Parts: sequence; structure tokens; C-alpha cells
Amino acid sequence: MNCDELREKSADYLARELDEKSLGEARGHLADCAACREELEGLSAIWTKLGVLPKEQPGSALRSRFYEMLQAYMEGLAKNQERRGLGQTLSDWLGRLMPRKPAYQLALSFVLIAAGLGSGYLLSVRPRSAARTEVAGLKGEVDDMRRIVAVSLLKQASPSERLMGVSWSARIDRPGDEIIQALVETLNNDPNVSVRLAAVDALYLFYDHPEVKEGLIDSLAGQRSPLVQISLINLLVEIRERRAAEALERLIRDENLNPKVKKRAELGLVQLS
Amino acid sequence: MDSTSDNRLMEEVRDGKVERLAILFERHHVMLFNFFLRLTGNRSASEDLVQDVFFRILKYRDTYQGQSKFTLWMYQIARHVHVDHLRKLKQEVPLDEQFEEPAGAEPPAINRLSAEFDAALLKKALDRLPLRKREVLLLSRFQDMKYREIAELLGCDIGSIKSTIHRAIKELGKIYFELQGGTSP
Repeated sequence: MNCDELREKSADYLARELDEKSLGEARGHLADCAACREELEGLSAIWTKLGVLPKEQPGSALRSRFYEMLQAYMEGLAKNQERRGLGQTLSDWLGRLMPRKPAYQLALSFVLIAAGLGSGYLLSVRPRSAARTEVAGLKGEVDDMRRIVAVSLLKQASPSERLMGVSWSARIDRPGDEIIQALVETLNNDPNVSVRLAAVDALYLFYDHPEVKEGLIDSLAGQRSPLVQISLINLLVEIRERRAAEALERLIRDENLNPKVKKRAELGLVQLS
Repeated sequence: MDSTSDNRLMEEVRDGKVERLAILFERHHVMLFNFFLRLTGNRSASEDLVQDVFFRILKYRDTYQGQSKFTLWMYQIARHVHVDHLRKLKQEVPLDEQFEEPAGAEPPAINRLSAEFDAALLKKALDRLPLRKREVLLLSRFQDMKYREIAELLGCDIGSIKSTIHRAIKELGKIYFELQGGTSP
């Protein structure tokens, strides 16, 4: 390999895309040619430095704006489907009725005008129900999207993004196990009190889910923030969860318990009895 | 989150399951943001451009064919978005004022950690590289694209991409050493 050939291969050399044979030839030339060696060392140094440049993070507004746009697009799509459902089926119907010969087409058009409004009603019944099914499907997809957003945001490092994750969870109509588990996990382990409080509020919306009640009762023993403890007690009393009484009794027996929390727990026990 | 391939997800988006775009967004928006950030040197413009890319993906989802890699298609859109951005800027701002320095881009004092200093200097050097060379380098080094893919994306032969890489690195090194106050090797 000569100097020009080495120069041609240098991009592959840097990206480690040279095959064994070419690599051997390149190394052979480099051993003999100080100028090429020096040039390639310089290139490699810059190439390596580029590889370790830190990745920068965009602001959280980018994510919110993207999901707002996606949701608006999906809602627009749902509206279009509703309109198209009716129009499409009407035109299918007319297409099937239309005879092939122009003379008959003319005759039929008069008949159709006469039939007019009455048949309009009959024609609209089927397409509307078909469109309704499609719209229901799209609403399910909006729920799927919110689920993806919520789970992704709940895993973020910044508390404000996790708060957004909790608020996205609360907007889901049918949360499913994944969201419930993510919210309970947030309630139990999130280092930020505001995020844990928001998780209590979000779980309130899904309290008829059996795992939520269990999760709330279990969580009470592990919480250390008086704010979260009181919020949890309020919620358990609100949903009249009798199984919580035992957890409240255990909490009251804790000698280190904040007096205000103790007072609220005692009142809660009375309310639940 | 979801192990489905990018191409499969985009096919689903094309066929009407547009909510699947959320997974593609989560996978690629940070890389795309860094691509634009290094091209424009402007954080808020880069965020707008990322948003625009995903908007166009939705708008043109019907045209996705699935034969080539999704990221290749996405960067094709990204390049168009960037060109439109430059055209708009040219109408509004004189050329030499187009590159806003990113916050904290000025190299920190020499007594700071040398890695931090190095990175800031290298970013500054990258900003001074001509657009075409910078773009090829970014696609290869930051977006992990193969030379073959870059050639397909830019519509040229692989040999010219390799020689652009060679020249770009050489020129970047020269600018970098000049910024350090030395002379190029």
C-alpha cells in the first residue's frame, strides 16, 4: 500500500471497517512511512475526541409539544373517520344501485330524487355505527399513546418530567396493569414528595382496580413523609377501605410517628369502623 | 419500552396506528436534537426542528415504503427540515449572524477540567467546519451511520463520502489546534 492508497482507506481505518487483508497492508505501510503515521495519528486523535463528546438533552417542553401534536393529529383523524364513514357508505350504496347504461342512469336519478329524504335516513344508520366503531378504536389508540408517554415520563430523571408522567397516567381511561404498577412503584419509591403526592391523587382515580387498594394499604407502612401519609389515610378513608384499619393500627403504634399523622390515623380508624 | 424494530413501527404508523410514533420519538428525539444542535448551534431552534421532523413524518407517513432503514428516511426528512430552516434564516438574518453560540459554548477557563475544556473547544471547531463536511461527520460519528447509508442519504457514491470524512477530520483538527493557540500538526 502506498501513501495515496492509505489516504483513501483512512475513513475505513478510523471507522474500523477495514478487512483483515487491508488492515495488514495499512499497518505495513504505517510502519515504514513516518509522514502517514503522523497524519493518521492526528486524524485518530480527533476521531476519538469526537466519539466522546457528551450528548446534550433537549428541554422537557419538546416532549410535551410532540405529544400535544400527536394527540391533536389523532383527534383530527378520528373526526375525519366519522365524516368519511357516512360519506363513503352513501357513495358505495349509490355505486351499487347505478345501472351501466346512461339512459337507465338518467331514469334512476329521477327515481332517486323522488325517494330523497326518506331513504337518506335508512342509509345513514349503518355507516354511523361503522364510524362509531372506528372512532372507538382510535380512542383506544389515544389511550395506548398516553400509556407509552406516561411510562416513559415516569422513568425520567427530572422530577418535573415524572410529575408530567403522573398527570398523563391520570388521563388514561383504562389504565391496565402496567400503569397501575408504575404508579404504585412511583408512590413507594420516588425520592420526590411532590411526585409521590401526585401519584396518590392519580391512584384515587383508579381505586376500583383491586391492585390499587392493596398497593395503597401496603404503601402506608413504608412512607416517611407526613404529607404523603396523611394523603394516603385520607384516600383510604374516602374509598371506605375497611382492610386499611389494620394498617392504620400498626401506624399508630409507631413511636416515631408525627403527632398530626397519628391524630389523622386515629380519626380514620373511627371513620372506617 | 418496546423491542419492535423501527421499520415495523413506522409501517404501523403508516397503516393508521399513529400512536406508535410515540415509541419512535422516544428512541430518536435526543439523537436528532444533537444532530440539529451541532448543525445550528442553537438549542431552541434545534428543538423546533425536531418537532418539525416528527410533524412531517406524520404528514408524509403514507409515503413510507419500508424498504430502507427508518432512520435513513428520518434523516432525509431532517435534512429537508434543516435546509428550509437555513432558507428562512437567510431571509431574516445576515449570514454571519446565523450561528448563535449555545449557552456555555465559550471554552471555559484553562484551569477548569481539561476534558470539559476539550469538549467545548471541539464543539466550537465543529461549528466552524463547512456545512457539508460537518453534516457528513455528524451522521457518521454521532448518528452511527455507515458510509454506505450516508451515501444513500446524500445521493452520492461511497468513495466521495470517505474522502469527505478524511478531509473533514483533517480540517477539524486544523481548526481545533488553532483554537488551542497552536499550529496544526
